[in-house]
Amino acid sequence: MDQVLFEKLLIFVVTPNNTNCALEFYVSELVDKCIGSRIHIVMKNDKEIVGTLLGFDDFVNMVLEDVTEFEITPEGRRITKLDQILLNGNNITMLIPGGEGPEV
Amino acid sequence: APFRSQEKKKKESIFDLSKYIDKPIRVKFQGGREASGVLKGFDPLLNLVLDGTIEYMRDPDDQYKLTEDTRQLGLVVCRGTAVVLICPQDGMEAIPNPFIQQQDG
Repeated sequence: MDQVLFEKLLIFVVTPNNTNCALEFYVSELVDKCIGSRIHIVMKNDKEIVGTLLGFDDFVNMVLEDVTEFEITPEGRRITKLDQILLNGNNITMLIPGGEGPEV
Repeated sequence: APFRSQEKKKKESIFDLSKYIDKPIRVKFQGGREASGVLKGFDPLLNLVLDGTIEYMRDPDDQYKLTEDTRQLGLVVCRGTAVVLICPQDGMEAIPNPFIQQQDG
């Protein structure tokens, strides 16, 4: 990993609605900074997942723990799962660091 | 001369997104989601980082119709595999349907 690249990155504080981002960085570095924090994943369909990010791979398959699954359309139904899940990266649309999930 | 194959070139983008850095853009995704935000970063796979992101919510009855509803998402990473369209925020506007034909009796 390029040390200089790391030093170019500003600290991305894992809170919603932050400002002042670095001009140059790589997207995978940003996701890497989220490891250990809560993250909110929005799928292509109406499903959203909130959990603690343990890791991810080149395809952005993700391992999460302490996971809550949300279905948005049917009145915001919630399914809570503990332990760990492997989330298939095929259907991931957006990743929101520090996100709490949709309002229910 | 035949088409130049990929052997001499590395992976080159056909479009340079750096001109949109720090500008507001609109992004459409596979599955019908739409969002806009300020482009903060990107990579050759078209993964994007948007700040101050708003998602435009669709009509629950008609998945292809946008509503007035939006939600704030803040700093977001958009997966390049899901991105279908990127355009500048001021590069599009809603217009009345030009395809409706008037029935003349």
